[in-house]
Amino acid sequence: MRIFGLSFKVIKTLLTTQYAYMLEYRIEIALWALSGVLPFIMFSLWSQNDVGNTFGLNDIGLARYFLSAFLVRQFSVVWVVFSFEEDSLSGRLSPYLLQPLHPLLRYVAAHLAEQATRLPFALAIAITFFVLNPSSFWLPSLPQLFLAYLSTHLAFSIAFLLQSLVAALCFWTEKSSALERLIFVPYLFLSGLLVPLSAFPSNVLKVAMLTPFPYLINFPARILSGMPVDIFNGFLAQFLWILILLPSVSILWKLGVKRYTAMGA
Amino acid sequence: MKRYIKTIRLFWSTAFASQLEYQLNFLIELLAMLGTLLGSVFILSLFFTGGRQLGDWTWESALVIQGVYTFLDGLTNALLRPNLTEIVNYVREGTLDYVLLKPIDSQFWLSVKKFSFAGLPEIILGLSIVFWAATQSGTSFSFYLLSVFIISLFVGFVILYSVWFLIAASSIWFVKTWNATEVLRALLAAGRYPISAYPVILRFIFTLVLPVAFLTTFPAEAILGELQFNILFFGLILSSLFFIFSRFFWKFALKHYTSASS
Amino acid sequence: MHNNPSDLIIVDQLSKYYRVANKQPGFKGTLKHFFDRRSYDVPAVTNISFKISQGEVVGFLGANGAGKTTLLKMMCGLIHPSTGLVDVGGFSPQRRQTAFLKEITLVMGQKQQLIWDLPPMDSLYVNAAVYGLSDHEAKARINELADMLELGEELTRPVRKLSLGQRMKSEILAALLHKPSVLFLDEPTLGLDVNAQARVRSFLSEYNKRTGATILLTSHYMADITALCPRVICIHKGSLFYDGDLDSLANSLSPSREVKVELKNSCSSDQFEKYGEVQDLNDRFVCLLVSRDKLTDVVSNLLTDFDIIDLEIGDPPIEQLIGELFIKGDIN
Repeated sequence: MRIFGLSFKVIKTLLTTQYAYMLEYRIEIALWALSGVLPFIMFSLWSQNDVGNTFGLNDIGLARYFLSAFLVRQFSVVWVVFSFEEDSLSGRLSPYLLQPLHPLLRYVAAHLAEQATRLPFALAIAITFFVLNPSSFWLPSLPQLFLAYLSTHLAFSIAFLLQSLVAALCFWTEKSSALERLIFVPYLFLSGLLVPLSAFPSNVLKVAMLTPFPYLINFPARILSGMPVDIFNGFLAQFLWILILLPSVSILWKLGVKRYTAMGA
Repeated sequence: MKRYIKTIRLFWSTAFASQLEYQLNFLIELLAMLGTLLGSVFILSLFFTGGRQLGDWTWESALVIQGVYTFLDGLTNALLRPNLTEIVNYVREGTLDYVLLKPIDSQFWLSVKKFSFAGLPEIILGLSIVFWAATQSGTSFSFYLLSVFIISLFVGFVILYSVWFLIAASSIWFVKTWNATEVLRALLAAGRYPISAYPVILRFIFTLVLPVAFLTTFPAEAILGELQFNILFFGLILSSLFFIFSRFFWKFALKHYTSASS
Repeated sequence: MHNNPSDLIIVDQLSKYYRVANKQPGFKGTLKHFFDRRSYDVPAVTNISFKISQGEVVGFLGANGAGKTTLLKMMCGLIHPSTGLVDVGGFSPQRRQTAFLKEITLVMGQKQQLIWDLPPMDSLYVNAAVYGLSDHEAKARINELADMLELGEELTRPVRKLSLGQRMKSEILAALLHKPSVLFLDEPTLGLDVNAQARVRSFLSEYNKRTGATILLTSHYMADITALCPRVICIHKGSLFYDGDLDSLANSLSPSREVKVELKNSCSSDQFEKYGEVQDLNDRFVCLLVSRDKLTDVVSNLLTDFDIIDLEIGDPPIEQLIGELFIKGDIN
C-alpha cells in the first residue's frame, strides 16, 4: 500500500517515532490542550449574561456548540510554520531536503502524532465540562460523529495548507512566523471559536463565509453539536479550499526550494 | 543603580538597532494589532445587541476595559514576550551560563534585555481608547483619579509580569514552556471583559487565583472613578507578593540549574 | 588544609553526581518511561584535588565526557559541587558574588554571547555597562585588546557576517573586557582553522605574560595544550590521574625515544644492541628505541663509533600517547 508515494512501512515508522517524540512532551501537550479554553470562557459569558436568547440560541445548544468548537480546535490545531522556521534557522532543513521524503509530510506526521497524544487530555477536559454542565450532555449519532470527524480532518488539512503557504515564505524571509499572526487574527474572529457564526449580522456573515475560516471551526462544530447545518455546501466549500490551496502550496514550495538551493544556504 | 539604568539604556538601544533590520515585522504587528482590536470590539458589540448590558457595564465603560487590555497587550508584546520567551533558549543553548557569570542580577538581565518597538503603537492606542471611552462615559479627570489609575495599571503589570516570569523560569526544568505560556495567554484573554460578567466561580478564580481582574477590570474602574480604595490597597499587597515570589522562585530554579547543568 | 598564599585556586576532594533519567529506545521504551521514570546517579567528577597558583596556565586533558567541563564549571560557579570544596581567590564560586564575577571570565567555544544581528561593538558596550566600566575605560580597553587580537573593522560588522575565527576573537574580546584575572576557557579553538587556532593561542600566551592572569583551559587540540600549558591535569572517567608538567607526562607515558640513524656503510643488528632496542634495521638505516635518561650518551657514542650521514630523534606524537592512555584507562 502506498500513500503519497510512501510505503506503509515508512508511514508507520514516521508516525510511531513522532508519537514517541510527542509522548516525551506529554505535559506540554496537556497544557496546550488546556490552552484551548477560550470557547469555555466565551460560553460562561454567553450563559451568565443570557445573550443566547437574542440570537435564538438556548443554553444547552450553546454549551454543546462551544464544547464542539473546543474539540474541533483540538484536532485541527496547526503549528507547522513554527517548527519549520526553527528547522530552517537551525540548519536542520538541509538534511531534510536531501531525504526522499517531502519535508511537509514529516510535519504532517508530527501533527497527527500530536493529535493522538492530545486525545486523552481533550477527552478529560470534555468530561470535566459535562460534570460542570450535566444538562448539556449528549451523544452524537454515528453518522453525525463520522461527518464531524471527516470535516474536522478536512479543517485540519485546510489549516495545515494555509500555514504551509506562510511557512514556504521562510525561504524568502527569516521570520515568517510573524506573518502567521496575519492569518491567526481573522481565524480567531471569523472561525466561530468565540461566537457561533449565526450570531453575526448578516452582512458580516456573508463576508466571513467567503473566507476559509468558518470551515475550520464553525462547520464541523455545528455538525458535532447537532445544530442545523448545510452539510453538502459545507463539504463542497472545504474541498474547494483544499483544491485551491494544495497546488498553491506545492508551487510555492518548489519555488522556495529552488531559491534556497540557489542561495547555497 | 546607575549601572542598571545605563545597562537598560544600552539594551534597548541595541534592541532598536537590531530591529531596524526587520522593518517588515513592524508592519505585520501593526496590521495584527488593528485586526485584533477590530475583531474584539465587534465580538464585544454582540453582547450589547438589543440594548443589553454586560455585567452592569455600559458599552462605553466596557470599551475602557478593551483599552486597558490593549495597553497591557502592547506592553506584553514590547517587553514580556520578547524577553521571557527567550529564557528557554538561554537554557537550551547553554548561554544562560554567560548571563549567570555577569555581575548583574540575572532576573533583571533576562527581563529587560530586549524591547520590541513594534509594541509601542499598541500601547499608545490602548491608552487613547481608555481616555476616549472614559470621556464618553462621563469621567472628569482629576490628578487623584489619574494617580489611582496609574497605580492600578502598575499593580496589574507587576502581577502579569510575575506570573509570566514564573512560567518562563520553569523552563529550567521543562525544555518547552511555550505551551504553558499559551495557557496563560488564553486565560488572560478573559480580561477583555468585565469581571462581573462572569459566573461567580470564575469571578473568584479571576480575582484571587489568577488575578485577571487586577489587570483590566480594576484599572478600568479606577479611571471611571469607581475603584474602591481597599481593592487598590489589596492589589498593591498582592502584586508585591507575586513579585517577591517570582524572585524567590527564580533563585530556587537557579539552584536547580546550577546543580544539574552540564 | 594548609593554605599557601600563592595558591589562587584550591580544589579539595571535589565530586559531582548527576541524576539521570533512563529511557529505552522505541515505542515500548517510551510507554514504559511514561509510567515509570527511573533515574540514577552518575558520577561526573569524583574526589579531585589540586591547587593552582596565580599566573599559571593549566590545561585540562581528558576524553569526551571525562568530566573536564563539569570541573571547569564548578570552578567558575555554574555548577554546585555535590561534595568537596572549591576556592577561587578566597571566593566560593557557587555563590557568584559580584566581586568574584568581576575577577573571572568564561569562554565557551561552542556557545556565543555576542548579539547575532549586530556588530560586536554593540555587545561590547553592553558588557562594559554591565561590568560598570565607563565609556572612556571601555574604549581604551577595546582598543588595547583589539590591537592584541588584530581586530579592526570586523568589530563594526554584524556578527553573522564574520568568519568563525573573527567571531571567536570577538567573543574573547567581549570576555576579557573587564580585565578578569582568572580565565576559564572551554574549547576556545573549537572548529577554527589552523591559522586562527595559532592566533588565538599566541594571543592567550601574550595575555598571560602581560597581565599575569591565570588561565584554565580545556581543549581537544593537543597543539593548544603543548603551546600554552606548562602544566596539565588529566581527568579520566571523572578522576584525576595526572597533575604535573607536560614533559614529564610525555615521559611517564613513553619512557623511550626513537633514534633514527642513516649510516655510510651497512652494519649488522648485533652491533647496535648495546645502545638500545633495535626496532628496525634495513641496509644502512637503523631505528633504535632509547630510554630518555640515556639519550644524550647514546647519541654521542653513536656519533663517535659510526660513520653517520644523518641522525634524527623522534618522539611518539603526544596525541597518540594520550589517546593510548585513554584507551588503556589507567597508568601508574
